[in-house]
Amino acid sequence: MTFFTVIVRGLMRRPVRTGLTLVGISIGIAAVVALVGISRGFEQSWSKGMKARGTDIVVSNMGNALAPKPFNSSLRDSIVSLPKIAATCGLFVDLTSIESSSMTIVSAREWGGFAWQSLNLVSGRLPKDAMEPVVVLGQNAAEVLKKKLGDPIQIEAKELTVVGIVDGGALVENGSVILSLPLYQKISSNEGKINIIDIRATPGLNEEDIKKLCAEINVLIPEARAMPAGDNVGNSQAYKFISAMSWGTSLLAVIVGVLGVMNTMLMTVFERKQEICILLAIGWRRARIIRMVLLESALLGLLGGIGGVMIGSIGVKVLERMPAIHGLLEPDLSPRLMAISVAISVIVGVISGLYPAWRSSRLKPSLAMQG
Amino acid sequence: MAHIRPYLMKQILSDFGSAAVFEVTGLKKNYDDGNVQALRGVDLKIDQGEFVAITGPSGCGKSTLLQMLGALDSPNDGTLNYRGKSLPGLADLAAYRAKEIGIIFQAFHLLPTFTAVENVQLPMFESDRPASERKDQAISLLKAVGLEHRINHFPTKLSGGERQRVAIARSLANGPSVLLADEPTGNLDSENAHIILDLIIRLHREQNMTLVLVTHDLTIAARASRTIQMMDGRILSDNNATS
Repeated sequence: MTFFTVIVRGLMRRPVRTGLTLVGISIGIAAVVALVGISRGFEQSWSKGMKARGTDIVVSNMGNALAPKPFNSSLRDSIVSLPKIAATCGLFVDLTSIESSSMTIVSAREWGGFAWQSLNLVSGRLPKDAMEPVVVLGQNAAEVLKKKLGDPIQIEAKELTVVGIVDGGALVENGSVILSLPLYQKISSNEGKINIIDIRATPGLNEEDIKKLCAEINVLIPEARAMPAGDNVGNSQAYKFISAMSWGTSLLAVIVGVLGVMNTMLMTVFERKQEICILLAIGWRRARIIRMVLLESALLGLLGGIGGVMIGSIGVKVLERMPAIHGLLEPDLSPRLMAISVAISVIVGVISGLYPAWRSSRLKPSLAMQG
Repeated sequence: MAHIRPYLMKQILSDFGSAAVFEVTGLKKNYDDGNVQALRGVDLKIDQGEFVAITGPSGCGKSTLLQMLGALDSPNDGTLNYRGKSLPGLADLAAYRAKEIGIIFQAFHLLPTFTAVENVQLPMFESDRPASERKDQAISLLKAVGLEHRINHFPTKLSGGERQRVAIARSLANGPSVLLADEPTGNLDSENAHIILDLIIRLHREQNMTLVLVTHDLTIAARASRTIQMMDGRILSDNNATS
């Protein structure tokens, strides 16, 4: 019998209570995994989408909304002549409800711009000209909207036709309804407006050069902000808000977990008061009693953490398949997030065990003689 | 820390020398802010290898005295020496409880989630023995008390007499030189009481252990080489001519 056996036996003394506590911690950690995984995945999906379009720098004004604010497309003219800029492409990207889908990405692209080049046709064709009343759908968007080639699709008040299904190389691209910028500007009454400028820098620039170029652009276009592709979503107020909400909600869930473990461990110490006194009477040191209680609560945290990661991962996978958000979520369920979640859970366990451990260390061995 | 503790133990043991096992003078113990005086000045000397029975009515202080001898509690006044050293002043009381004494309780006090062999191993965690050695030692102790066929049974599956035998094996786990027993047959029927008492006395004789046994049963006390009778926190009589 090792000391670990003693720890496990302590937890198995009340298997139902231990099990319920584990469920409590697991739900808390599942919330951490799901909420943080989704919010980080959201940022990464947009970042991948931009990289798939071959974009090095994104100029936009994210403000407090999930979609960037529109600005005059003429602003683009002031930066095209900058050295180190190989190409620019104006876009109007919106999150809107289309038919049965409550939230779909509409990605309107400058006709002939480089953002079209990264689209690989799976079936059908691309629009023939800038004003042809047609769209192409990313693979996931076609699946979510239940559209096939030749089907009509209602965008704003205009009925367009699906002429192509594309693979954009990233979840955001594949979840988008893609059409020509002039067409969308017209049907959405946003003539002359764009909300994103994708920029391709000249080849060979490093990260530092890209940042310097962003700074130059920001001087020329104060109405928007240039950032390296991928950073713009993470730096938006909306994303920061979502991220803060995710961590905040997770924190609440974790606090509930702490209280649950603390309650269990206090009950355990209370119930095992005489047992602890017997252990002291037969020669156990107080430090060993403290270690026993702390290791029991840490083990609860570890098992709860592993359970939470499993529940959270399964939950997110189920969420991903829900029609309302299918094709929009690419959660970040990286080993790092899982390791952090389990570590949080173990820390929660240890912190929760501190007070019960202190209480147990105050017991007198003479109490063993009673009862 | 690991290398300091054995050194301290060695130091303590060598310092104990060959003086009387316990030397108690004017020992007092109060509870409830002095409203209850459990011990009111006890003087006592117990030598190595003695079998001392402490008797008296409930509340006379006999169990409190045993707690003091076992360092389970500390006195309010008086001196209590173990082998010439102040017991309350020992730097490592846990080591004293783990290695110097073995305690047998009236209600056995086995831990219910551990088997017999595991219960016997519990005091050994404070020694530096590896797990396999701890187990071997526990099995041999259970054999010594006649329970080799019940080593993997949980306490709930053992009879009262068997539980007390496991408790006795546990008290011997670290080879103590003193055995303190608090009404060890109090929860047993007369047949098992005799078996357990015979076992304790046999172990005391075979290993030349000092045995201090608290009992209110005069027939049990009669088997001791020395009987101390207590009343109202004081020693009423002590049939030891030398103390």
